[in-house]
Amino acid sequence: MSRIETEDLAVARGGRVVVRGVELRVRAGEVTALVGPSGAGKSSLLRALVRLDEPAAGRVLVDGRDAADLEPCALRRRVGLVAQAPVMLPGDVRANLAYGLDGPADLEGALAATGLDASFMGRTARELSGGEAARVAIARALTRDPVALLLDEPTAALDRDAAAPVEALVRDLAARGLGVLIVTHDEAQAERVADARLELGAAHEARTP
Amino acid sequence: MTQVIVAAALVVVAIALSRAGGLGLERELAVSAVRAAVQLAAVGALVTLVFDYAGLAAAFVAVMLGTATFTSGRRLRGVPGAPWRAGAAIAAGAATGIAPMLLSGAFDTTPRELIPVAGILIGGAMVATSVTGRRLKEQVGEDLAAIETRLALGVPVREALSGAVRGAATTGLIPLLDQTKNVGLVTLPGTFVGLVLGGASPAEAARVQLTVLLALMAVEVVAALAAARLVVAGLTAPGERVRVPGAG
Repeated sequence: MSRIETEDLAVARGGRVVVRGVELRVRAGEVTALVGPSGAGKSSLLRALVRLDEPAAGRVLVDGRDAADLEPCALRRRVGLVAQAPVMLPGDVRANLAYGLDGPADLEGALAATGLDASFMGRTARELSGGEAARVAIARALTRDPVALLLDEPTAALDRDAAAPVEALVRDLAARGLGVLIVTHDEAQAERVADARLELGAAHEARTP
Repeated sequence: MTQVIVAAALVVVAIALSRAGGLGLERELAVSAVRAAVQLAAVGALVTLVFDYAGLAAAFVAVMLGTATFTSGRRLRGVPGAPWRAGAAIAAGAATGIAPMLLSGAFDTTPRELIPVAGILIGGAMVATSVTGRRLKEQVGEDLAAIETRLALGVPVREALSGAVRGAATTGLIPLLDQTKNVGLVTLPGTFVGLVLGGASPAEAARVQLTVLLALMAVEVVAALAAARLVVAGLTAPGERVRVPGAG
């Protein structure tokens, strides 16, 4: 089952189309790696999937529904985007996990799913290490109960020791039934974690099998 | 005349210090001082005329409002619709003070009272609008990553910018709060000084000054909040997205 599909999607940056003809499928329970050279439009593609930027052409479908027909805030809770070098909001980890929620949520469960224990709840979010912040950012997206996660280079700023738990977490999230799309420039990482791959090549047209 | 010469010398000192400190405000200081001199001389002559012809008072207030709108609008450049947003915030703030004052009879509708009171309240609304709007515009540019992090978590633009709005409105109100807290201790404000120099008793001058200062609090809070709301609306793109403010 596809959590996210795109049909002939084109994405622009600064008024210029940087990628076109994207036919992407992010399936439930699978990790899809989005690979390509710098400037290929990987991050721009992720932004278009949650309509932080409007696609230049084509459609995005989430669980079969056109994303343009979904209320934007509901779309972004349904498909969680974790940006490269995630920003920690002011306050402690608990405040970050609870930000913007208008009802009860399993904050402890979301944190535990990323391998962090409850003792992190009271930690000042902006004092976390890179690896800890990456996991808190993922937990923050999980508190919205998404069907898919978009992770933009989650280990880019981490050394190998800090990256390994995050890669294991990515596999674990898919095992829990989420569709996961991970942007990576590391071919070896894509081999390790992904079940499918989408390559933005020189022509910047891409199709997942 | 000695007063003006001494004051002009102080402006020259300010310009020299700006240059020495690398502030880059020399031209703006000089232009502001020259504008003030020319405008006050013209205003002095014009107000004399307006006092004699009551019908011109409303037109004078309209010119004050238009000039304040133009000035604040330039501070908000880069926000779509900056001039009308600035004008609406200033008008909302000024009306908050002027209408109750006139309707309650606290001040007369004669030109001699309407023009100075309207000028002070419009001026206060303009400062609050300029400072709040500009600070908010800057903060959106500086904190875009954090703002888009909030949007990506599924909150609307209004909520994603709420922290920036609070900070900007607070910044916009600091000058008034400091002035009001320290009035009579650090500063003797213009209204008080003008009335005393004009022959009013200090007690009467203090009463009028207090009335104006307290009215300014409401005026500037309304103007700051209105400016923040209008700037947020101007920077909100369809689909709960943030427009990055243009250069300005």
